[in-house]
Amino acid sequence: MSGLAIEAAGLVKTYKGKVRAVENVSFGVDPGRIFGFLGPNGAGKTTTVAMLTGNLAPTAGQATVDGVDVFRHPELVKRKIGLVFQESTADSDLTGRENLELAAALFGVPRRSTATTIDSLLDRMQIGDAADRLTKTYSGGMRRRLELAVGIIHAPRVLFLDEPTLGLDPQGRAGFWRFVLELRKEHGMTVFVTTHYLDEADTICDRIAIIDHGHLVATGSPSELKDRLGADLVTVRPVTPSPIMEGVLRAVPGVLSVAVQDGSYRVKAPRGEALIPLLVDACARSGIDLASVSLKRPSLDEVFLEFTGREFREDEGMTATDRAVRVGQVQQAFGRGGRR
Amino acid sequence: MIRELSALTRRELLRLARNPQAIATSLLLPILYLVLFGQAFNLNSIGAGHVPPGYFLLLYRGAPNYFSYFSAGMAGFVAVTATLFIGANVIFDRLFGVLKRTAASPATATSIFGSRLIAGCLQPIGLAFLVLGLSILLGRSGLSGLDVTASVTAVGAAEIVLAVVMLSAMFASLFLAIGFSIEQPQTYFAVVNAINLPVLLTSAALYPWGTMPAWFQNVASVNPITLAVDVLRENLFLGAAAYYPYDAAVYLLGLFGWAVAMFFIATLLARRALSPRR
Repeated sequence: MSGLAIEAAGLVKTYKGKVRAVENVSFGVDPGRIFGFLGPNGAGKTTTVAMLTGNLAPTAGQATVDGVDVFRHPELVKRKIGLVFQESTADSDLTGRENLELAAALFGVPRRSTATTIDSLLDRMQIGDAADRLTKTYSGGMRRRLELAVGIIHAPRVLFLDEPTLGLDPQGRAGFWRFVLELRKEHGMTVFVTTHYLDEADTICDRIAIIDHGHLVATGSPSELKDRLGADLVTVRPVTPSPIMEGVLRAVPGVLSVAVQDGSYRVKAPRGEALIPLLVDACARSGIDLASVSLKRPSLDEVFLEFTGREFREDEGMTATDRAVRVGQVQQAFGRGGRR
Repeated sequence: MIRELSALTRRELLRLARNPQAIATSLLLPILYLVLFGQAFNLNSIGAGHVPPGYFLLLYRGAPNYFSYFSAGMAGFVAVTATLFIGANVIFDRLFGVLKRTAASPATATSIFGSRLIAGCLQPIGLAFLVLGLSILLGRSGLSGLDVTASVTAVGAAEIVLAVVMLSAMFASLFLAIGFSIEQPQTYFAVVNAINLPVLLTSAALYPWGTMPAWFQNVASVNPITLAVDVLRENLFLGAAAYYPYDAAVYLLGLFGWAVAMFFIATLLARRALSPRR
């Protein structure tokens, strides 16, 4: 027994003998942690979840969840875990309450506590008022919250969330993650979440694994992964172009590199916030007036770029403003800043 | 096991009750057959007075007229047509993620299949007896109708119920087996249509037995619809047993064989469909 809540060793999945969806993936998740499994669409995230939850047989490899061998005893694993799919799986011809009653029966929630458990979950997920409406009338956010309620009705030891916030607006996402964090805090539940929203993962997850084309390319805490990049990025923009500015910036102690882009100077340094006063002072002493100075810490986007050699594909269509709004709302909801 | 089976069956019944259109649609076909086809096809009027006594009894194997013979056949036929959609429900549940959710739960394949079988049999059983009741009412209202000429005993009634239940279960299993094996709705309906009509047309549900050539009678005699309607006809019509080579219990046994075989095939296919994908 490793003591890990989830352990995967050498997982391989090849579809129809050709498409290698997952290649020799190994990792471990400590109990009570939130583990993010990141990667673009088609990277192998959902295939990995399907294997770990006993719904897909692997081509090779081993996995245990809460100490149970997934591939030998998938039926036992299914009792121990909660699973929230990326698509809606609630029965639209049933009410929210009936969906939960069905889940309670299937997951063996004791009969005497079923009604109170359901009432409590409905209230907590803020769908109590709609409990007796058919779920076909629910909004996207309500359906997601119902999916989460179904996934946790039996208070599972390990909760798998497969792209749980896909299609939700920023507020919906923030609300969803707030519920997950509360659950983790109250029940010590281990959470395995796949997402291609890097900012969410940065804010929520204790540890992260990045998968790309079926290969695990990096594992660590968000801050560890970002620290591996080794530098912050300070962007300095002069009021008017100066031929001496690049040399002035390079001469400041601690600067690793300077790159010029569209009239701005992108300065890399290990501790950007400490460097800013030095950069401003050096420019002032050289008679260069500055229009703006900004600091950017490495994000998981840069981490992804570093480990895969390219931009995170799914974020291509997202503007910087969209991303900032989403990060802000998620962080506000949790009352804490994103990790470095 | 019992709890999950009853919870899943409840789900199927709730869905059925919330789709009255589906029930109304399944009623339409038998009513049209009884009110139009059955009324127009009054074979007794052809050659009336020119055929020897007992000719029609021979033709209809003891039934007093064609409608009486036909309405028993219709009861069997609707039991089949009403089960058509339960396989389609499996496919739609797969498309909408409901089956994925259920398969990912600890529910056993037996419960998932069994709940659909139980719920899927209730509608056809109800419809079959509705057809028989409606046929009797038609006769009493002065139209061609079902004349029950025998005194139906408790054993006879039990045999009738068993025949309808087993016929429904057999076809429900068949269509569930197809539903669990096929992913696209259009493929399902193509396959079901390819089965449904040949099964009906090779049975003795509609044709007067006496007009069928011997080879056709041989084919029809092993058809599950024929086996079920033979049980009904033997019990509903006075002296009908004399026109059948075997007792109704033998036909019930044959039907039981069909139902068991189809049940096992369907269970295997459902288990395969619900086990971890490979």
